[in-house]
Formats: sequence, C-alpha cells, structure tokens
Amino acid sequence: MPGRRVLITGIASYLGTELARILEEDPAVEYVAGVDTRKPRALLAGTELIDVDIRDPELLTRIPDTGVDTVVHNQIVRRPGAGMSARRAHDINVIGSLQLLAACGRTPTLRAIVVRGSAGIYGAEPAAPQFFTEDMTRLYPLRTRFQRDVAEIENLFGTFARRHDEVACAMLRYQPSIGPTGSTQIPQYLSLPVVPTYLGFDPRIQVIHERDALDALVAAVRRPVRGPVNVAAEGTIGLTRMIRIAGRPTLPIPSPLFGSATGAAKRLGLLDFSPDFQRLLRYGRGVDTSRLVREVGFRAHFTTVSAAEDYAAARNTAEAAA
Amino acid sequence: MTAPRPDAANGPLPIGPLVSFLRALRGGLDGGQGLAGALADSALALPRDARESLDAAARRLAGGYEEDDWGYDEEFADAALPFLEFMYDRWWRVHAEGVERVPAHGHALLVANHAGIMPWDGTMMGVALMREHPLPRVPRFMVLDWAFDLPFVSVAMRKLGGVPASPFNAIRLLEAGELVAVFPEGIKGAGKAYRDRYRVQRFGRGGFIEIALRTGAPIVPVAVVGSEEIHPKIGESGLLARLTGAPYFPITPTFPLLGPLGVVPLPSRWRIEFCEPLDLSGLTPADTADRALVLELSEHVRDLIQRKVHENLVKRKHAFA
Repeated sequence: MPGRRVLITGIASYLGTELARILEEDPAVEYVAGVDTRKPRALLAGTELIDVDIRDPELLTRIPDTGVDTVVHNQIVRRPGAGMSARRAHDINVIGSLQLLAACGRTPTLRAIVVRGSAGIYGAEPAAPQFFTEDMTRLYPLRTRFQRDVAEIENLFGTFARRHDEVACAMLRYQPSIGPTGSTQIPQYLSLPVVPTYLGFDPRIQVIHERDALDALVAAVRRPVRGPVNVAAEGTIGLTRMIRIAGRPTLPIPSPLFGSATGAAKRLGLLDFSPDFQRLLRYGRGVDTSRLVREVGFRAHFTTVSAAEDYAAARNTAEAAA
Repeated sequence: MTAPRPDAANGPLPIGPLVSFLRALRGGLDGGQGLAGALADSALALPRDARESLDAAARRLAGGYEEDDWGYDEEFADAALPFLEFMYDRWWRVHAEGVERVPAHGHALLVANHAGIMPWDGTMMGVALMREHPLPRVPRFMVLDWAFDLPFVSVAMRKLGGVPASPFNAIRLLEAGELVAVFPEGIKGAGKAYRDRYRVQRFGRGGFIEIALRTGAPIVPVAVVGSEEIHPKIGESGLLARLTGAPYFPITPTFPLLGPLGVVPLPSRWRIEFCEPLDLSGLTPADTADRALVLELSEHVRDLIQRKVHENLVKRKHAFA
C-alpha cells in the first residue's frame, strides 16, 4: 500500500518546518512538499520545496503535479508582522486560500485538507459562553479585520468541502499558542519589560503549548476529521495570574486610554498588539475541546496553567544564561 | 473566647490581620475580659497574623493561587467572606429559611426574584448556603452580561463565582454537577422602580425551565425579601445611560447625588426562603419542544416565588427596623 503524500503551505513557519520534520520521519508518509517563498527554519532534506507565493496562480499546475492526498494549510497570517501591511495580510489569508482551493480542485488524488485556522473567529466578548463549542460562531458580529478574514476562509473551505465529498476538510480553530520559541503574540506580550493590562479587568485566557499545537496538527493529519475542531489546552487562567507566573510587572491602563497608549507605544516600535489581541486582553476567551479529544483522539499534554509555567521556566533559564 | 477563624488569618488580602485583630478583640470583650486585657491578647496575635498574611500576599504576587475553569478563586472568596458575613449578619440581618432543602450533592437550579444594580441577592444566597447548609456549597450565580463589561466589578464577580448569564454557561455548569443560581427576571428585575418592588416580573421566555429539563436538574425556587429596598430607584436617566453604555442608569435618593457613596446599599432587613424543590420527574429533555408546557411551568414558578415573597414580607413586618 502506498504511503501518504502531504503538502504543507507556510512551511517556513515554526509549525510548518517542525511538521515537515515529523512527517519526513514517518514511515507511513512517502512524500512531503512545502510551499513558501521564505526559507524553512531548518534543513529539510526529504521535503520538496515549492518556491511559489500562495497567491500565485502557478500553484494551479504545481500542486496537481505533486499528486498529494493531503494538504495542510498553515499559512494564515494572525498578525501582520514587520513590513507587512494589513492589506497584504488580508490578501495572503483570503486570496491565498482561494488560490490554494482552486489548485486543490484540480488535484484528483486529494483526500484530506487540514487548515490551521483560529479560534479568533469566536471573538472576545464580555458575556460570551465561557467555553465556545464548534457550533457557536454566529453568536456575535465579526468585529475585527482578522475575524472577518477567518470567517471568509472558513466559508471558502466549507464550500469546497460541500462540493467535494471525497475530501475530508478539517478546520482547526487554534487558541493562541505559547512556548519557549516564543514568536507568537502571547509570549511576546509576556516578555515585555512592563506588561500593559486593562485596569480592572482580569480575563480568562486559554492557550495551547507550541509543542501541543504541533502534535495536534500531526494528529489531525493522521486522522482527518470533517468540519471545525477547537484546539486548545485544558482549562483557563486569569491573565493577571499568567503575567505573575511569567514574573513581569503589570501596567494597568484605564480602558478608554488603552488603545491610544498602546498605539503610541506601537509607533515607537515598543510593541504591536492586533485589535483581536486587545479584545482578548480585555475579555478573554475559552473554548470547549471535547471534539478534539473525542474525534481527533488528541489530548494536549500541557494544561493552560502548566503551559504558562513551562514558558516562564524556559524563559527564565534563557535569561539567566544570557 | 472565640478563636479567630483560620481562613481570615490566611486570607491573601492585607486586611486579614486587621480582621482577625478585631475578631479577637471582640471575642475577648464578649468573654468578659477588660478592654486592656483583650487588647493585649489580640495584639499578641498580630505579628504572626501579619507575617502569614504577608506570606500569602507574596505567594499570590508570584501567581501561586488557583482559579478553576470558570475563574472562581476560592482564596479570594474566602478572603471576601468576613466582609460578606458582616453584610449578612449586621447590615441586612438576614434570616434564611429552608436552606436544607437545597440538594447537598449534584446539580440543582436555584431560581430567585431579582432586584438591585449589584448582584447582592446572589451573594447573600451564597453566604446563606455557606453558613447554614449542613454541607456548605458555593453556588455559581448568573450575572447580567453587562456587569462583565465593567472594570473591577467583572473581576470580583468572576472570582466569587459569578458567570455571564448565558444558557450555554448554565447548562455546562449543571452538567458538571454544580449548583447554579439564576434570576429569570433579568434586567426587568434589576431595573425595577421602587414603587414596583416585590412585584415579580415576567420570567423571560422560560429559558430556565428548558435548561432544567435539558439537564434534569431540580429547580429550587427562592424568595428574597429585602433586596428590593437596598437601592430604591425613583427614576432613571436615559442620557446618562447612553453616555455610560449601561442598559439603564438608575437614580436613587443617594445616587448619583453622593457619588460613590450612593452605591452603598441601604440596610434593609432581609429574609431568604428556599422552597421545596420542584418535582420535574416524568419530564424529559424532549419536553422542551412543548412551548405551552415550558411557559406554564415558568409561570408556576413565578407565582410560587411571588406568593413566598408576599408571605415573607408579612413575616418581616418592617423594612428597615
């Protein structure tokens, strides 16, 4: 029986590279390809790199040629980084997904799509259910640009899944990740010398450890399910407690001033909070992970609290060494 | 002499030593000691209490405390208990009846009448259960969504066991075997005018009945008397409500006239009666489809609570005496 053939978009990201590394080692996988215009973080000897921008129509010929049965979509921009405009992030998110799906439609060998999406689609709301289940995406209006992007992406993949019954399309809704590698928003936030918070707010935050984020992606590739699945560590943590575990002083800012204060700090290049992240810092968000456990068969190794502790311990060691 | 409660001394808040100092002092005086003797005795305990309290504060500052998945913070609740007990015993002189009717184990839905801007009624029901129930348990109370958009209030509510009022939350808590308090009058209850006090308003759309049927939780109706006098609303200001983003902006004899002081609730006399749990056996989750049944049950509970409120009003005699 031939092995699995997997294509990963955004292979240069931490998760993309690590996923490729694991799949290269996996005897059940015979072929791994990666799409990205950036260089992978580590040398991937057994992976074919396709140096094409995800928005480029060239994908329409390149992907069908690989004869893959699984596509992992790992190129959704959560926060436009340095030198990336909001417009370009939106283009990568929406036009990129559209282009990728067009290519998928021409790949008759395709059986599964796994999307690394975001739990940001639920938003962060004061009176929200404390644990969103997968069917609760329509409770609140989509307030931020990123939320609208995610909703559009989910829509595109949902439509594709309905039209292609032979393809199992899993939409993984990730909570923010945390971990020693620390290039995502929460670790960056927690490593600020003084951590700004909303005065009088202490929201419940739920994260996923970066190692669990990777393992969940691997589990979803091995057992592709249909439809949305929340991906998060068990339990939640009060933001204040998380900052205290990280050993940082807080700077509480009254909410009417928070936007302008962090906006000014952003212009000075001190920090960069996305609008979604700001709402998260005020209201928090928790999701229900029973579908992940039951159907994907994956249970996160770290709880939200132990993930925060692991991050803090790793960072303190790194800071002591420096 | 009554011993100082251990949890007060261990409390994470720096008022811990002060509270136990005053407790010891009062205990000493009640025990027939002279003022000087009582003072000396309680002062001796101060350094130890202060040290313990400082240790606890330092531990909390390092993040060494627990919150459950819903954000309930037991240590915080323990530390707040002396204050809540003061409100219960001295301020409102609460008389609670039928506490033992609340199931000691497993899920149950407490349904009560509601009044006042702050959820004092929920907190006092909690104190009654903590103090007078044979197996004390902490109820989770559903709080008007709006409170979770307020600084400080939102945090205090969450840490004391408050949860945003959403059927999803109530169902999840009940399925986890918790005791949940709901106030189906909602905003109509909280925004009641003083002249309408103790007229129990319509119970929404009977959502709480659906929740009980869906989870199989018994319903315990609760009548609260006293809570509807603590913030006598004599008017409201649409303009200020719009400016503050509040669902309504109450005007009471003291608020906003006295500013923050106006938020201090009036010391009415309270009675809380926990009624016999409602027998819903024989009904299944499928019965939620029967709108007429749901509305009828909801109306039945409202009637029962209204009747009990009237009974307790008569028993209480004077509102403030």
